[in-house]
Amino acid sequence: MSEIVIEVGKRHIREINEELQEACKTGKPIRVVDTLSRHNLGVGLPDGADITFEGSVGYYCGGLNTGSHLKIERNSGWATGEGMAKGHIEVGGRAGMSCGAAMIGGTIHVKGDAGPRCGVAMKGGNIVVEGTIGYQSGFMAHAGKIIALGGAGESCADALWEGEVWVAGPVQSLGVDVNVVEPTAEEVAEVDAILEPLGLVDTSRDWRKMVSGQRLWYFEARDASAWLMI
Amino acid sequence: MCGIAGRILNAPGNVGRDLVALMAAQEHRGADSTGFAVYGTPMDQGYVLRGMGFDKARMDADLELFRATLKEHGADFLNDPTTVKDASKHYCFRMEISDPRDLAAWVSDADELSGRIEIQSCGRSLEIVKDIGGAEQVSEKHKVHDMIGTHGLGHARLATESSVLPNASHPFWARPFSDVAIVHNGQITDYYTQRDHLQRAGYRFLTENDSELIAVWVSDQMKQGLSMEQALRKSITSIDGVFTFMIATPDGIGYAKDRFAMKPLVVIEQAGELAAATEEQAVRTVFANECDVINHDGPSLFGIWGVGNRSMAA
Repeated sequence: MSEIVIEVGKRHIREINEELQEACKTGKPIRVVDTLSRHNLGVGLPDGADITFEGSVGYYCGGLNTGSHLKIERNSGWATGEGMAKGHIEVGGRAGMSCGAAMIGGTIHVKGDAGPRCGVAMKGGNIVVEGTIGYQSGFMAHAGKIIALGGAGESCADALWEGEVWVAGPVQSLGVDVNVVEPTAEEVAEVDAILEPLGLVDTSRDWRKMVSGQRLWYFEARDASAWLMI
Repeated sequence: MCGIAGRILNAPGNVGRDLVALMAAQEHRGADSTGFAVYGTPMDQGYVLRGMGFDKARMDADLELFRATLKEHGADFLNDPTTVKDASKHYCFRMEISDPRDLAAWVSDADELSGRIEIQSCGRSLEIVKDIGGAEQVSEKHKVHDMIGTHGLGHARLATESSVLPNASHPFWARPFSDVAIVHNGQITDYYTQRDHLQRAGYRFLTENDSELIAVWVSDQMKQGLSMEQALRKSITSIDGVFTFMIATPDGIGYAKDRFAMKPLVVIEQAGELAAATEEQAVRTVFANECDVINHDGPSLFGIWGVGNRSMAA
């Protein structure tokens, strides 16, 4: 099947996204070129599209995705896939801050590192990072899994809710109200089921599973000083 | 929000043109005002001044008053000031002066006129140009794209903590330290406490802008004996707020980021040259090929990029 090529360059982003929406209706694969790290590319895509971004993209790429498969060949900026509900986003390089912020479903796969606050306030879905996740990743994640194969930066899983942060590497430091627990074989199998379609299963991994300590769930302002870590 | 940028070349070149491109690509981060700090060929003696006057009708008289303060300190204009005027209330000037006996003492006296005429940069090589409007608009008015130098800074301002005034734009000169300029993206939350402390030490602030404080704070730390690297490290724990700032001297550009990692900084280094900015799409206007970018997006980061035979200090 032939592919549709859309050029970004210095064109207006609204015009490009409208062209993308029209191209999605054809069912053909789409290649977006000359991306120049521009912001807001491919926001609000429908179910079923197959789009490759040739090069790096800026902020919010794939935000509000409702089922498309996006491949970003190089880096992505802040908030990749923010609020996405369904679908798959692959980042070939590095993802900037707040990757998968507030997402509710689907999978984001980052082949490099992810910046600070990866998965902040996510409410579902999975983020798989082959490298490390940055400072305060998982902050206030309500649901879903953040899986980091390389390690995690400072203040990992800070103020987590019912989300989970899985790290198979060094963790610089934990955030507040985090418990590190030994995962059961059944839980590891669940994670491996997420990694399997990405070709990333490795049974020798030494997982650290981080969950909420649940002490902040009933936060009292008068206890604030006990939680300050700065 | 604001957008900041830094640019270093291997040799004197079109740094003004590059800074305009870096800031034009970040104009959406703040179009209230735009400013540039360019380090040109240093003068052996004397200083180049950039500044602003606030009453065009009194321009000649105010410049004469300003000149009189110089003469009291044993210096004078080296040539006639050049001025830029348009429909705005203010006008901008550039002049070269001979060395006052004591630069800080003269600046202090000259600042008595700051309600009428304000020095916005003073240095052997530093020139700060800033004004209301976007990058291209400011460049067109002040011919920034023609400015030649080795390195410089840029800033696009979204005013949050102080008024949209031409003199509240960035970059800020670290008054009265010659050749030091700063651009900043963020908010300093203990601004008045820090400002009070520095004012008691004799420093003068001409705006309510928190970025002006950082320039003086870092310079004061260096005056007290810290290296630039030590001052930048100390700023992270001594200044409250969320910030990424870049501070320039004739030797290079330093940067520091707060403990919360809230403000981005993206860098491309290639063939010994460097571009740094808030957004990746800006640095790609200077390095158009798909080269690797360095994301300084963690907390508590600082470092120095030197000019010439550059080395990372941290």
